[in-house]
Amino acid sequence: MSNMETNTEKKPVTLVEVIDDGPLKITGNIIIKDLKRDVTESPSEVYLCRCGRSEKKPYCDCSHKK
Amino acid sequence: MEKASNSFSGGRKYRNNDITVYWKPDACVHASYCYRELIEVFDPGRRPWVDMNGAETDRIIEVVNMCPTEALTWKWNDEERNKGISKDQTNHVIFRRPELLGTMEQAVQENPVSVKIMTDGPIVIKGDFTFQYGGNKKEFKEGIISLCRCGTGYHLPFCDGTHRKIGFEDK
Repeated sequence: MSNMETNTEKKPVTLVEVIDDGPLKITGNIIIKDLKRDVTESPSEVYLCRCGRSEKKPYCDCSHKK
Repeated sequence: MEKASNSFSGGRKYRNNDITVYWKPDACVHASYCYRELIEVFDPGRRPWVDMNGAETDRIIEVVNMCPTEALTWKWNDEERNKGISKDQTNHVIFRRPELLGTMEQAVQENPVSVKIMTDGPIVIKGDFTFQYGGNKKEFKEGIISLCRCGTGYHLPFCDGTHRKIGFEDK
């Protein structure tokens, strides 16, 4: 049968999700560039700090719960 | 086909002898390239905030082209020089504002979504992605959003530039 590629309205594979009172979760096909630390990486899943208090910025370390 | 226009709706324009820089505040996502790179010209704490005498034209062009939106664009004052110059070179309409994307019918690219962690600033996300917030989902195609990282903005989860006022430092 026809494969998925024939569907002209392809959905983005990347999901950017704001977790209520929590971090930003991003899954899919991404390139993260941290300009301050000069780090580039392509994880398939990542949790980024939104509260400003993480000790592991830009990543979430659950400091928002404290 | 060039038509001279003296008015500029949607923003302000600033010129020196060589170029005019156009500023559209509504398109700004506070990516902060402009003032981090060239505070002599782009100083948000000054009025007017753009001082075209603060740097050489080449440097101003370089920094305007860094703007990830069309909040900052530029043109040569000499229209002849604008002929044959591509829109990318003047930072025009590379990425569009999310609100303008609803009707865009563009093939989804295989390109990865760009997630930039700005220095002491927001998370700027560009490309084709689904954005989920508060139970709502929205699809962006060649979209750009800027999300708060300091936790103190007035328009969370989006960046509104508050990080600069509170002196947010990413450390």
